[in-house]
Amino acid sequence: MNKQPSRVFLVDDHPLVREWLTNLIEQQDDLAVCGEAESVQQAIDGIDETSPDVAIVDLSLSGGSGLDVVKNIRSSRPQTAIIVLSMHDERLYAERALRAGARGYIMKRESTSSIVAAIHEVLKGNIHVSAQMSATLDAKFVDGRSPPLQPPEELLSDRELEVFQLLGQGFETRRIAQVLGISIKTIQAYCARIKEKLVLANASELLREAVRWNERAAKD
Amino acid sequence: MTSWLARLDEFSNTATVSSTFALTLFIGVLDYVTGTHISLSAFYLLPVSLAAWTVGPYFAIFISALSVGVWLTGDIISFDQTSAVPAILVWNAFIRFASYSVVVAALTNLRALQRQLEARVQQRAAALTAEIENRERLQRELLEVSEREQRRFGQDLHDGLCQHLAATALAGQVLGEKLASQNLGEARDAKRVVALIEQGIKLSHQLAKGLHPVDMNAAGLMQALQEFAANTTELHKVSCRFECDSPVLIHDPTTAGHMFRIAQEAVRNAIRHSGARGIVIRLDTLDEGLLLSVEDDGRGIAHAPIQPTSGMGLRIMAHRSRVIGATFELRSAPSGGTVVSCLLPQPEPAYEQAAQ
Repeated sequence: MNKQPSRVFLVDDHPLVREWLTNLIEQQDDLAVCGEAESVQQAIDGIDETSPDVAIVDLSLSGGSGLDVVKNIRSSRPQTAIIVLSMHDERLYAERALRAGARGYIMKRESTSSIVAAIHEVLKGNIHVSAQMSATLDAKFVDGRSPPLQPPEELLSDRELEVFQLLGQGFETRRIAQVLGISIKTIQAYCARIKEKLVLANASELLREAVRWNERAAKD
Repeated sequence: MTSWLARLDEFSNTATVSSTFALTLFIGVLDYVTGTHISLSAFYLLPVSLAAWTVGPYFAIFISALSVGVWLTGDIISFDQTSAVPAILVWNAFIRFASYSVVVAALTNLRALQRQLEARVQQRAAALTAEIENRERLQRELLEVSEREQRRFGQDLHDGLCQHLAATALAGQVLGEKLASQNLGEARDAKRVVALIEQGIKLSHQLAKGLHPVDMNAAGLMQALQEFAANTTELHKVSCRFECDSPVLIHDPTTAGHMFRIAQEAVRNAIRHSGARGIVIRLDTLDEGLLLSVEDDGRGIAHAPIQPTSGMGLRIMAHRSRVIGATFELRSAPSGGTVVSCLLPQPEPAYEQAAQ
């Protein structure tokens, strides 16, 4: 099979990591590295120039977050599959990366051997995450925790939506109580109900969801 | 006695001056009414002492002279035969004045001594307060410096060493694949090396996380506690849960850092000393402020003798609470376990922003 090798673009601010990722990828017959970058801007320009099939992106870059790169590529070059390769905990970042448009998430600290497999996987159009993360995401989906299916504005009562919106604007519980003129206890009860209705696991997720919803609402 | 004297000091000068005059004249009238045979000379000591104690020696001498004058006037008006001899009158007046002056001198000295003592006590108290403030500032700075250093180490470990190890693992992977393609048995060893390096990354990542647990954003404490509870459940055979009804934002990273360390220490104590099987970390917004609490279902404080090391931990938790202006409490839970709590008073939110 003399197919053209798939082209991979590397975004990582650590030169040694880039060097050995290149060695690893070049060693595969069907993969080739077409370029690399260490900062957000370099990455966006480089990917624009080289139009790779896959981009491997680290989350912590000099001059910004890898998530910005992911979002940018997602909107400007949707045909490029993105894999996030990061030192950060997948429990905190995998879902966020996938939502931003990545097709895979690999933790640098435990899946060196699965990088090549992950590239092949996303090239086929599939999603690649660790088995553990995959189980968590499946559970969320089965539990109906797939937020796009149920927009908050349809699920929440007016008062709950008001609290949700203020949370998303970065208001603290105490201030929301003050703004709406109700007690902190009542706000907490609202928060509990919002979490239940949107099937969010904890307050961090609630906050994240509220911020996301607010950003979306601001864009529309 | 001292409180009575202290109260004297609180009167204004004009009040004491006028009351001294009034007292002198009143005693003079009394002296005149009672006649020349009954001596009331000792009573004049009252205004004289008052003058010496509250106003000063010159005014006291003046009041002494006034007393003598008043007494003399009274005696002359009553025109008694025995006291009519001018020489005797003058002699008696002189003796009286002299004895009043002695009292004035003694009281003035006593007063000066007392003032000196008071000044010294105040000086010492001020010095002590300054010393305590200094020490507290120093302790706070020390804690901050150590926190900052830890954060730096954590960052360096995470950004430097971990990345370096990640690159090394990749190199091992490259080597392993090369060996495997030549069908060499050493490929398995290379695989093992990669696994070992990955363990190394995991260890240094955990070390970095321990040194630098709380992200610098306002929601960092919630995330850090969430992750910490999950890791604790994974590493120690206990169920550690983090509960937080409504999102808690802490804008000062130092405060968030201290709150996290308090929770961490409380959980560590629960695991080490109480034999707890379940631990709940809570962050609650209350009317009084923000409440961090760690409750376990272990033996409780009544049954566990407090070890020197855990005593140290308690002291540090209490100290951290003090540094961030929170109140720290350790008590028995209704269930029999222990509750560690730290209440951070939160100011009412700013009004101009609340109006948005």
